[in-house]
Amino acid sequence: MLRVATSPAARRLCALALVGVLCVSRIDAITLAELLSDPKQTPKRFASHFEKFEYEFHAAVQPADVFLANRAGDCDDYAILADYVLKRKNFTTRLVRVSLVGRVAHDVCYVFQSKAYLDYNNRKFGSPLEGSGRRLRQIANEVADSFEANWTSASEYTYDYETDKKILALTVVKTDPPARDPDA
Amino acid sequence: MSPSVPDRTLRRVLIFFAAIAAVLVAAVVVAVRNINRAERGADWVNHTHAVILEIDGVLASTHASDSALRTFLMTNDPRDQAAGREALGALGEHLSIAKALTRDEPAQLTEVLRLETLANQRIDIMQRVLAASRTDQTEAVRTLTAADATTATVSEIRRAVEKLKAEEMALLAERDTAAYLQAQTTRWTVWLGVALDGLLLIGAAWLIRDDLRARRLAAAALAEANTRLELRVRERTADLVATNEKLAAENLEQRWAHQAAEHQLRYYQNVFNALNDLVFIVTKALNVSRVNPAVVTVTRREPSALIDQPLAQFVQLAGDPTGKLDPVARALREGRELRGQMASISDAHGRPVAVRLTLFPVRDRDKVVGGVVVLEVLAFDQTSTV
Repeated sequence: MLRVATSPAARRLCALALVGVLCVSRIDAITLAELLSDPKQTPKRFASHFEKFEYEFHAAVQPADVFLANRAGDCDDYAILADYVLKRKNFTTRLVRVSLVGRVAHDVCYVFQSKAYLDYNNRKFGSPLEGSGRRLRQIANEVADSFEANWTSASEYTYDYETDKKILALTVVKTDPPARDPDA
Repeated sequence: MSPSVPDRTLRRVLIFFAAIAAVLVAAVVVAVRNINRAERGADWVNHTHAVILEIDGVLASTHASDSALRTFLMTNDPRDQAAGREALGALGEHLSIAKALTRDEPAQLTEVLRLETLANQRIDIMQRVLAASRTDQTEAVRTLTAADATTATVSEIRRAVEKLKAEEMALLAERDTAAYLQAQTTRWTVWLGVALDGLLLIGAAWLIRDDLRARRLAAAALAEANTRLELRVRERTADLVATNEKLAAENLEQRWAHQAAEHQLRYYQNVFNALNDLVFIVTKALNVSRVNPAVVTVTRREPSALIDQPLAQFVQLAGDPTGKLDPVARALREGRELRGQMASISDAHGRPVAVRLTLFPVRDRDKVVGGVVVLEVLAFDQTSTV
């Protein structure tokens, strides 16, 4: 039969050990402030912090610190955070939402200087940046190819953590002639 | 088989294979074009589904926001408020994407714009309710909520969504039919290409088979001709061997005959040489062609000094003033013998020797070709021979 230690000292010791175990996984978690204060921040360096993040779908966008602390989230959490951080590091970015057939829409953050986009699905790859043209149609084609799926529309949007609002700016429809795309 | 036949067959087979390749390329090109069209068709089908999903999303977001608002009014729980805000955000996104998706379809776009107007009215009411709730105007909230219950905005939104969906479903059916027909065309193209290629392959196989049969027949004919030729060669060889054997035998007989003739000739030569009488073989013109040794002894002339010389140069007939042996020449022309003619022959020193001349004409069949003149010496001084 299992004997449980019941002395107060032993209980304190166990509680301390439990807190220690629970905290170990959070010790190396990066914060938004650290990301923003990194003077050498680049898209690749940014992506390197997310290699061990897990996928966890949320209908709403998680606040940045929650996403970073939980080390779990989905594509729009990652893309919106990348857009937020890199914009403040003088990178020109655009947030793109690609509607795929039979799947949840996928969000990526396109970085003009890198001529590539950051995709949460590529966070564990050696090269987290996926090369692409700057137009929404080109980005949508690349994203759809990575899913081996078809896309129906791709939208550029903005997001504000304060208001928690996504505002769709441009939308490209696959069946439209490419010359008539809003960003053509 | 003539050498041109295989070349013609090869050319035909090459033409067949070129036709097969052409049909294959044509089928592939048409099939790829059809696949591209089918892909575009599938894009349109997906597009229609996307429109339906977005307008469904509008209705769902409307219901969700409505439900969240009512719950929030009852519970005052910020999470319900957040859910309402999230639903409204989704509603805006659905409307925005639906507008983009239908911007090339005026009828649908009009419906979506109407839907947007209705949704905005709904959002306006909700925001007013929320504002009243924040300022704790319970009566105002109640009034607004009661007024909202009597408005038909949600029903209108539902009807508009249903109408749009019905139109999109009609479009979907139309686009699906186009995609189906495109797939059928692709199938027919591929099968037609396969069937044509199959027919061409059968044709090529038949041609090759026919050519092989012709080659086999030609080989058989050639073998038969070779057999006949070998038979003829054997027959000819046998004939030649027989002829050769016959010729060898004849050759032997001829050699024997020749030897016999030589023997006979030597015998006659010996006889001719042994004669004491002087014998001249003369031509029809009475020129000397041959003499026996007795002539050399009596005339003391070498045969070379006698041969081809006229006989009249050495022999004179007694009583012949012409000295040309005319009686002898006449007898020879007439082919008769001339016997016992007195004559003389002069030796190398011009001394005459009395002789009796006899002429025998020599005939080849009926024709006189020459003669033999025999001179019997009547008186000859042996001492003068030294």
